This record gives sequence, C-alpha cells and structure tokens, in this order.
Amino acid sequence: MKLLVINAGSSSLKYQLYDMTDESVLAKGLVERIGMDSSILNHKPTGKEEVTEVSEILEHTTAIRKVLDKLTDKEHGVLNSVEEIQAVGHRVVHGGEAFKGSALVTGDVKSEIRRLFDLAPLHNPPAILGINAAEKNMSGVPQVVAFDTAFHQTMDEKVYLYPIPKVLYKKHRVRRYGAHGTSHDYVSKVAAEYLNRPLEDLKIITCHIGNGASLTAVKDGKSMDTSMGLTPLEGLMMGTRSGDLDPAVVTFVMNKEELSISEVNSMLNKHSGLLAISGSSSDMRDITDGMAEGEPNSTLAFEMYEYRLRKYIGSYAAAMNGVDVIVFTAGVGENSVVVREKVCENLTYLGVEIDPELNKVRSGDPRRISTPNSKVEVLVIPTNEELMIARDTYRIVQENN
Amino acid sequence: MNFKKIGVIGGGTMGQGIAEMLAAKGLDVLLVEETNDKLNHAYSMIEMSLDKQLEKWAITKAEKKLILSKIHKVTHFAELGTCDMVIETISEDLDAKKKVFKQLDQVCPSNIILASNTSTLSLTEIAGSTKYPERVIGMHFIYPVAKINLVEIIRGLKTSESTFEETKLFVEEVVDKHGIMVYESPGFVTSRIICLMINEALHVLGEGVATAEDIDDAMRIGYQFQYGPLEMADRFGLDSVLAALERMFREFGELKYRPSFVLKKMVRAGSLGVKTGEGFFKYDKDGDRV
Repeated sequence: MKLLVINAGSSSLKYQLYDMTDESVLAKGLVERIGMDSSILNHKPTGKEEVTEVSEILEHTTAIRKVLDKLTDKEHGVLNSVEEIQAVGHRVVHGGEAFKGSALVTGDVKSEIRRLFDLAPLHNPPAILGINAAEKNMSGVPQVVAFDTAFHQTMDEKVYLYPIPKVLYKKHRVRRYGAHGTSHDYVSKVAAEYLNRPLEDLKIITCHIGNGASLTAVKDGKSMDTSMGLTPLEGLMMGTRSGDLDPAVVTFVMNKEELSISEVNSMLNKHSGLLAISGSSSDMRDITDGMAEGEPNSTLAFEMYEYRLRKYIGSYAAAMNGVDVIVFTAGVGENSVVVREKVCENLTYLGVEIDPELNKVRSGDPRRISTPNSKVEVLVIPTNEELMIARDTYRIVQENN
Repeated sequence: MNFKKIGVIGGGTMGQGIAEMLAAKGLDVLLVEETNDKLNHAYSMIEMSLDKQLEKWAITKAEKKLILSKIHKVTHFAELGTCDMVIETISEDLDAKKKVFKQLDQVCPSNIILASNTSTLSLTEIAGSTKYPERVIGMHFIYPVAKINLVEIIRGLKTSESTFEETKLFVEEVVDKHGIMVYESPGFVTSRIICLMINEALHVLGEGVATAEDIDDAMRIGYQFQYGPLEMADRFGLDSVLAALERMFREFGELKYRPSFVLKKMVRAGSLGVKTGEGFFKYDKDGDRV
C-alpha cells in the first residue's frame, strides 16, 4: 500500500509518500508560503533529481493538487496515477481528551478537532485545512489523523491535573496534555527493539530535545508523565521558551512592565530560554560554540539548560522508581555531544556511565552511548514521526477494510 | 474578495498604525504619501513603533523584518490600481478627502471598496465626489490601532449592502477586530460620546471643581478607563478634539457640543498634547507621562 503523510501548517505543508510494503520513502517535500503569489514547492523524489518550483498557491487545496501533480509528473514523479495513493495520514497537534490514539477521519472526528481549536488556536486549524484539501483532491481515499497528544493520554489523573480549582478543568479542560507524543512513542519502541527486550519490562526516559523540548517517563510502553503541559511552554528550558517558572512571575511582570496577554505570551514563548540567557542565539550549536570560546552568557545558558534537563531526568527516575533506559532524540538530542555528555556526567548516582568515544559517533542509526558496565542503557535514536504516522495510518486503514 | 493587497493613503499617526497592523496580519500594504520625505518619515515611525514592541517582547526580530517587508512605499495613485481595498487616512479635511476619493475612483476598478478612516466627516458627502458611491464606506479605527480591537463601520447614504458585508468580513475575519455598524451621523458613536466627555471634563477643570490630575484619577480609577479624559485629549491631540467638537457643534447646533474655552486657549497657545510634549500633562518623546 502507498500512502501519503501530511503535516499542514498555516502557510506550509510537509509531505512524505511511503510504500508500506517495505516502509520506504518514495518522495518527500515541502510547500512554503501558501497564500502568497510566490509560494515555493520543493519536491524530493527518492533516486531522482530534486525540484523547486515557485508559483501562486493561495490555499491548501491547490497546494495538495500541486504536490499530487509532482508525484505523478513524468520527469519528477514516482507514481503513474494519483489512484495509487490508498490512504492519507495527517499530523494533528492537539487531540484533547477525545483522542487516545490515531483515528480514521469521519465527520465526527473533524468536528471534534474543530472543538479543540480553543486549546491549539495556532495549530489545529491548519490541520483541518489539510484534511479538507486532501478530501477534495482524493475523494474516497481513507484518511487518518495522528495526534501529538494521544500517546500521553495514558497519564494518570494525579499526573495530568494541576493543583488549582477543579472547576477550571471542568469548564475549560485545563490540564496537562503533553506534546511530541508520536516521537516519544516511536523512540521508546525502537529502544526496546534495539535492546531486544520487551517494552513492557522497561522504564524508559525519552528526551525529545530540539527547538522545543520535552521528556517522557515511559513505563510498560505507556506514557506515565511528560514535561509539557496545557501548552508546550511547561517543562524544560528550550530555545526560545522559558519552561517551568513560578506562575506568579507572569502576573508580577505583567503588572511591572504593563504587558498585555499577547505580549507576555510572546515573551515566554519567543524571547526566553537559551535566547534570553545567552542574549545571542536560541540554537544549541551556537551556545556550545560560545561556551567553547569561554563566552560567559553562552556558558550560563548552557549550564541552566543542562541543569534543568538533568533535574527532570532525576524526577522521572523517581516517578518510575528507577530507570533502565535513557533515550536522546530530535535535533539537540541526536546531535549535541556536549549536552549528552554533561547531562550524563552527573547521573552516576543512577549508575549511568557513558562511553565518551561512543558518544562522539555521528550516525543516522539508533546507537548505544553507555558502557557495558552502565546500569542504565543510554541510547541515541533518530526520531521519525512521519514513519510512525504512516504505520498508524496503514494499520487503521487495514483494520477498517 | 480575497484581500491580499491594501492601499493606505496618508502616513500620519493613523496611517502608520493601520499600515503596520495590516502588515502584521500578513497583508501587503501600499503606503501612499505626497512626497518621498513624508513617506520615509512614516516608514521610520513604523520602524520605531515596531522597535518599541520588540523591546516589550511583543514581536521578534524576524517578525519585525517580515512586517516591514510587507509595507511598500508609493507616491503615485496610479499604483493603487492593483489593490483589493483602499483605506484613506489623511487629515480631517473634507475637500482634501473628496479630492483623494475622486482620484481613487478613476484608478481603482469599480468593485474595489474605498474606505475612509474619518472620525467625524460625512461619508455621503465624500462618496458624492465619486462615480460609484455604492463602494464607498467608513472604516474608523481607533488609536493605537494595533491594540484597540474596535472598528466603526459607517454606511453612507448610498453604500451598498455588499460593500458593507465585504467590509464587515474584512474587519472581522481578515484583521480580526470587532466591527460595529454605524449609520452616518457626525462623530458616529465613539467620537461623539468621548469628545463630549472630554469637553465636560474641561468644563469641570475650568470651573475649578477639581485639578486635572484628580479629574483623570476619578474616571480612570473610578470607572476603569485606561486613561482619564484629559490625558485622552492629550493623546488624541487637542487640536483634533477641538476640530471634532466644532464640527459636531456646527452640525447638531446644540450647545452641549460647544468646545470649552480652556481647550481653545490651549490650542491657540500651541499646547497640543503628546505630540508637542505638553497638554494638560507633560510627556517625553516616547509619549510617556513625565
């Protein structure tokens, strides 16, 4: 079965075409600047030359039509006809409490995603645009939605509730939802496979650290706790997000600086984290470069980042009463040798021992960076959210046939 | 209509604010002024306003760059022919506005909405200078445009239903503000009520009932206004308040609109409020109270 995975943003659309007989990627690409007269379509067919095209793409329906044109193009295409695509999988950011896993798209599913606009005002609306656009271009083809929050729906009430008046949960569904679920789910499964041990026997801490960052405590293959909350602002210090702070800081600063709600939101989401402390960059590569040169602000930014990350690992070891595996994934997790080294250096009380040489290895494959003596397996596993969505889509469509 | 490119005529305070707000919503803006000097001044004022927002963490450097890249400087009306809507924001001078609309009428295709940001003038009269008065409408934004989410949509006598519906859609869906529908009347709703309150505050001040500070505190703290009426007048510009009151006084002929003598004296003395650094209170060059 061939299927298309779509990740629709408000003005962009990423896609990957899979052949599920061997899970190979036939083509992938990106449409940017949707809504403008100079939209950019970048199409990368596997084994053929990549192509970039600038044209007017005013909305998502046209964007998908152009993608399908490219996929069936004589020169750059990988399909003979659009009918070869037998299913479409979509990434949706927020599934609220309604979705505990991926789901086949129906009228009810779409209206539930719309009901969740309130909780993800920036991210859920484009997903609906993507679903409708796929429907218009490939009518009758089954569609599946995969949610970033779904994996964390296994969290216990004591974990997902905030200790604030319960009426806020009843009225507005204020609770912790988490994010990056598809990634945490994927890397924890790959970790068990890699170690050749049953997932159900493992206590895993997955560190998805990229520009956004979250940690998940995975026990019995299920998310027991995760660091992001109602929104992706909670938890770790990130590139431009603050992560955890005393909630009173918000009202105090709003009062002192006469900030509006949107200003304080922008401050915490876009002007904080590594960027705020280093004063120069939100990118971990720049921060570690700065630290290597002895630049004090970069050094402080790094130290805060590492300290907060390590504290979370410690707290999740406590939450699960132990840890068997620590997994690093996403941009920083997969690539920053220094972050992994410094974090693990002070986890010896857990029995963590990493091999500095293995830690330095660069590779696109899952790999172990801990020593044979280490009581905790430390792994680096490149994440692949698209493949996870493709697998879910494949499974759900097969089940419904 | 798919609103993508909007013409803004006049680079004064309101023109700057409207251009900046539209660009921040992702629309392309053609900003029109008579001379390059005036255009460059307006553009640098928008830059300053964005810098202030950057300082307050409201936007990022990348967002500032993106917003500025959407604002295009234009000195000839002819270039407005490709706009999906044009908003006029020049000073409150009826004859000058009529001249602008007459030119726009020739440049813009007849289905393009021509809107005026007038706060007190007659839309019907402005529309009278055009061949297609049905596409002329009032769109009164309130200062500071980026922060105040209200727009008065004013129907002139000949404004068509479709022009009104399209404008309402533009206000509510595209720029994401609350629109209220107003029929033509001097001062509409906002200016009429607020100018009367300011005028009454000036009478209270003139009669020696209370100090400027205390009058403002009374309304600000007592009734949760963000600014008291006197600071509000300073921020609008005392000359603008005077002009609005005089126009309403002429149109309605009622004494309650007659501008207070305190206001007239201040304007004659050149104390116009924030823009001159002094009105009822003193201000620094950033417009903050000293």
